Amino acid sequence: MSSDAGSIPAASISLLKDKWTVPRSRYRIQAGFLGALLFASLLAQNIARVRVSVRDYAEFSRVTLESTQTLTFTIARRTPGVIEVGLESQSPVHIQSGPVTSRLIRSVSMSRQGSRNILSIEGKTESYTFTHFTVGNPFQLILDLREVRRPAETPLAKPAEKKPAPTVAEKPAAPPPQDTGRPAVPLSSGGRTIVIDPGHGGMESGAQGKFGTLEKDITLAVSLKLKSLIERNLAFRVVLTRDKDVEVLLENRAAAANNNDAQFFISIHANGSYKKSSSGSETFFLNLNATDEDVRRLAYFENTQTELQGRIAADQDYQDDIRMILWDMAQAAYIRQSSRLAELVQAELNGLLGTANRGIKQAPFKVLTEVACPAILVEVAFLSNPEEERLLGKEEFQWNVAQAIYQGLVNTIREFPAGGYRR
Amino acid sequence: MIRSRILLLAVLSLSLVLLAIFFFLSGRGETVKEPPPELGGKEPGPQPETVELKKVNLFFLSEKDGLLHPEEREIVSSPTPEREAARVVEELIKGSRQGLISPLPAEARIRQVYLTKEGTAYVDFSREFSERHPSGSSAEIDTVYCLVNSLVYNFKSVKRVFILVNGDEKETLSGHIGLTKAFLPDFSMVAR
Repeated sequence: MSSDAGSIPAASISLLKDKWTVPRSRYRIQAGFLGALLFASLLAQNIARVRVSVRDYAEFSRVTLESTQTLTFTIARRTPGVIEVGLESQSPVHIQSGPVTSRLIRSVSMSRQGSRNILSIEGKTESYTFTHFTVGNPFQLILDLREVRRPAETPLAKPAEKKPAPTVAEKPAAPPPQDTGRPAVPLSSGGRTIVIDPGHGGMESGAQGKFGTLEKDITLAVSLKLKSLIERNLAFRVVLTRDKDVEVLLENRAAAANNNDAQFFISIHANGSYKKSSSGSETFFLNLNATDEDVRRLAYFENTQTELQGRIAADQDYQDDIRMILWDMAQAAYIRQSSRLAELVQAELNGLLGTANRGIKQAPFKVLTEVACPAILVEVAFLSNPEEERLLGKEEFQWNVAQAIYQGLVNTIREFPAGGYRR
Repeated sequence: MIRSRILLLAVLSLSLVLLAIFFFLSGRGETVKEPPPELGGKEPGPQPETVELKKVNLFFLSEKDGLLHPEEREIVSSPTPEREAARVVEELIKGSRQGLISPLPAEARIRQVYLTKEGTAYVDFSREFSERHPSGSSAEIDTVYCLVNSLVYNFKSVKRVFILVNGDEKETLSGHIGLTKAFLPDFSMVAR
């Protein structure tokens, strides 16, 4: 009966170790990834790294060349079906690309003629037109291929017009991350938005300190300070999910980010713990807490994205179903970026309280699940710790916290400048 | 007329009395046997040899390192894992005997545990589970994983835990951690 219960401590520990292997390998992958990222950024000093990606939208197929260095290029249509892009750079060019699955594009291939790198884009038909444009820092060359339609065919409705405008409060208030409805030129610098979410509000006051400090008041005070720092120093618009003591549904907080096509979502909270001595700041990003079924579902969507987009655009009923499923895991597509943002914000917060590095953590926070951009939740300090409760009530401490989060954000933007986070 | 009526009444009342005597004398032996130790749960007193005990490890929070520590306990075993799982949760609510912290509100009661074939345990708490919760991210995380780790660790048939409150799915425990999905255990929170 009790054989699996581990009746002696040694047995229980060995059983636990078995179960540890899963999460640990996950961390290893993450660490490996960050390492690779660092390595890549070091190499980038000498070599121009160009990443080629192909993506289908409702009305066109887009080829994006993202480079670590500015490139000079020539574009020519050698044969009716093939576009050749010649790339020139002072330093060696390293091109990486994956397999192509696209409605319009058959293949993307690389070749070299002397010092020139040539990228050939072969269309599936010869009847297409194309336009190109570039975006600065990091350098991106973007080619949009459009099929020339016979007049009889009715063009697809613009997905942008399908926004469920009348039901503002409803969940799918903005297109999901994989949606077809991104505007044709999404990378223009205008109208970049950061959404700041002061936790709780109204009847829902969150954690409470021994001396009566309420979480909802601290979160709003810090959020307002962070907003003013960003607006004073950065070319970002700031949207608050609430600017007074009112209750806001969690789904509307996520919708504020998605409706405004936000670049970043930062939720501000004050912590509470059963452990009375808990202290310090912590930055969280979403733990999908993915069950096997979720993982399969996610893999399915990632693998069949292009195909799905075609179907989503075509079929209204299907579209609604898929949207709901995708919304369920909107944040899944941004976990890596969210983790980096969390890391850079936490690095700044660590200095502030003089606590040991608490590191970044993952937890299944409801408010983050439906946010379709890099998103973090900052636990400024512990209200359950009387000393920190006193600190949290001080204007000066609130400004210091806002400044630290601001600095972490600036470091993130520097690392991934304009458009680096958007697809 | 009146006489025969009185006689009838007398006969009826006599038979009633006889019936009552018969009932109390013959019925006694069986009614005492009936109450099973199974349903009584808390008092395994009268027949100790029929009550089988099962050793379980409960996870409680330590004030010292903020990690979850196992504490061994014996629960009355039961043919269904649901009933045993409910007992484990009851023990978690009762709290530690070694001075560790139970991150489950003491006022909370367990309503029911359901277990699906796929290994999801639906644990239904009374409303106090979230109403009396102190709120706060760390507190909610500790509540969830003290519960989930304890159940998954002790029952092979439990792979993940879905928390219900008062019979319903709840959006968050107390404003932070989402309860709309089943939780997998997180043994990285357990002290080595």
